[in-house]
Amino acid sequence: MLFKLAWRNIWRNKRKSLIVLGSVVVGMIAVIFYDGLDNGMLRQMLDNQISSSVSHIQIHKKGFNNNKVIKNYIPDNQQVHNVVKNEKDIKAYSERVITFGLLSSATNSSGVYIYGIYPDMEVKVSNIKSSIVEGKFFTGGKRDIVIGKQLADKLGVGTGDKVVVMANTPNGNIGSDLFRVAGIFQTVSTDFDKTTIYIPIKTAQEMLDIDSHIYEYAIVLNDYHNVDKVKAELESKLNNKYEVLSYKDLLPMLIYQMDLYDQTMWIFYMIVGLALIFGIVNTMLMSVFERINEIGVLMAIGMKNSKIFLMFIFEAFMLGLIGTIVGLALGLLIHWPISISGINFSIFSDALKSFGIGAVIYPYLSVSNTIILTVIIPFIAVIGALYPAYRAIKLEPIKAIYYV
Amino acid sequence: MEIIKVKNLEKTYQDNGVPVNAIRGINLDISKGEFLVIAGPSGSGKTTLLNMIGALDKPTKGNIYFEGEDITKKSKSELSHLRLHKLGFIFQAYNLIPVLTALENIEFSMMLLKIPEKEREEKALKLMDELGIKDLAHKRPNEMSGGQQQRVAVARAIVNNPAIVLADEPTANLDSKTAGHLLDLMQKMNEEKNITFIFSSHDKQVMNRAKRLLILKDGMIENGSSKQ
Repeated sequence: MLFKLAWRNIWRNKRKSLIVLGSVVVGMIAVIFYDGLDNGMLRQMLDNQISSSVSHIQIHKKGFNNNKVIKNYIPDNQQVHNVVKNEKDIKAYSERVITFGLLSSATNSSGVYIYGIYPDMEVKVSNIKSSIVEGKFFTGGKRDIVIGKQLADKLGVGTGDKVVVMANTPNGNIGSDLFRVAGIFQTVSTDFDKTTIYIPIKTAQEMLDIDSHIYEYAIVLNDYHNVDKVKAELESKLNNKYEVLSYKDLLPMLIYQMDLYDQTMWIFYMIVGLALIFGIVNTMLMSVFERINEIGVLMAIGMKNSKIFLMFIFEAFMLGLIGTIVGLALGLLIHWPISISGINFSIFSDALKSFGIGAVIYPYLSVSNTIILTVIIPFIAVIGALYPAYRAIKLEPIKAIYYV
Repeated sequence: MEIIKVKNLEKTYQDNGVPVNAIRGINLDISKGEFLVIAGPSGSGKTTLLNMIGALDKPTKGNIYFEGEDITKKSKSELSHLRLHKLGFIFQAYNLIPVLTALENIEFSMMLLKIPEKEREEKALKLMDELGIKDLAHKRPNEMSGGQQQRVAVARAIVNNPAIVLADEPTANLDSKTAGHLLDLMQKMNEEKNITFIFSSHDKQVMNRAKRLLILKDGMIENGSSKQ
């Protein structure tokens, strides 16, 4: 009956209760929306980095990641190949030659990362093929080159135009070759599009005079949640001549930023929680003052203070619970369509691209955060009811009964 | 047999910083089964005395013994227990819980005593039938007249078979006919169930029904009379 009493007490002043419920619902929706947007943005940043070039795991000669010089090629390609081939959690991999160089057209030149790749392997680990906006992702020609849109604009070239690639060889000479632009890609990262070119791996090896050496294995897993496990397995199978790096090692700033966002989300939750607590305190205090006579009668009947206290706690808990459920339902109803269609932030497109995010952001809800919020908010309401409930039980029965 | 013994009872409270002696040295014995009316003019201290006997208020001095135990020494929790198990209250303004139906109001104190739902419903309905208010079972206080509400309040007060029912001006808000019916009811409960009734009232009708009448004036007993 205590629950029944608490439930009915909530609805005796509908307007007041609806205002509190409204604040919980709006708070919940705001948190779901903000959390979704924030998570979606970070996930997109990470996904874009992973799918453009980083992949889930990279294997290099030890030290290559910090010093990408032409001499740091993988010492025993066959050994790495065998290990990678036999790892069941690996979905796909791409062998790459990577070096710095200069790309020149008739009118301009620019420093670039040169990626020598097998196109058919690369398409399994990156989204470059699907980012092609002009031409093709290689036509099969030995002198095909695929470059970013920004770079093409800077050099003033289009598909079919000729460009020259130059880079240092291991013996200190300059290797160079003439290429014809086969395709132009445009990703969500302007930096990437300005600085990256793709050429066939065999051509790269010939130009750089490095036989059949390669510099990187870019690996995509069946399930990226297993990245630490697979990394550890690969490390145990390869000797210490190699470095096995996960995307977490390769994108430390982004991971740090994600952690930081996660922390700031909790600050945001706390602010929303505090606002809710003050709303509940206010409403429950009003509720106590409106029912002073009734509290006195309950005391006279013999209701213990602990039960009177609980009655107010139940009321707040129910308000919090209803608000949370309604807020969650409405929040998910809002979240669901925009998580599919995305939110178009094209007016901030340039700024977003410099962060490696597309103009359309797809909100993504963290299930764990949502569950935590759903559980916590009713208890936040309970915290808000503690002081009013305390005030209620501090009343003297005789003063309460005859209170006017 | 004495159920209540009041010894040298005094109550002083502050009214805007001015001490007011509401009760001044009252000694009183109340026996089981009495139908006692404490009467007197406004401000004579009758409600104050009733509230102290009902363990709702504490005296400044003196003692109140309930079934031989000094209730002025008891803690809040013990007093709450006493009120739940031994006392019933009827107020001038009925004071039913507005969000509960008549049946639920009557059941409420049984719920506090952890009586199973089925048993308490049966008991409450039986009592409502006895008091002729069964048809009000599912009505809320705002759907009932003053007389009906006060009958429900009587049922709430007696449903746990308390030793004493304390009624503070129970007829003050009722017309004389309704008040008469209500008093009939309480007299019947007093006679049939041997429940002790203590009233504070200056209603002539209530005073006429008293087996013992106690007149208070300025916080002291001015006159006490009994009739058989």
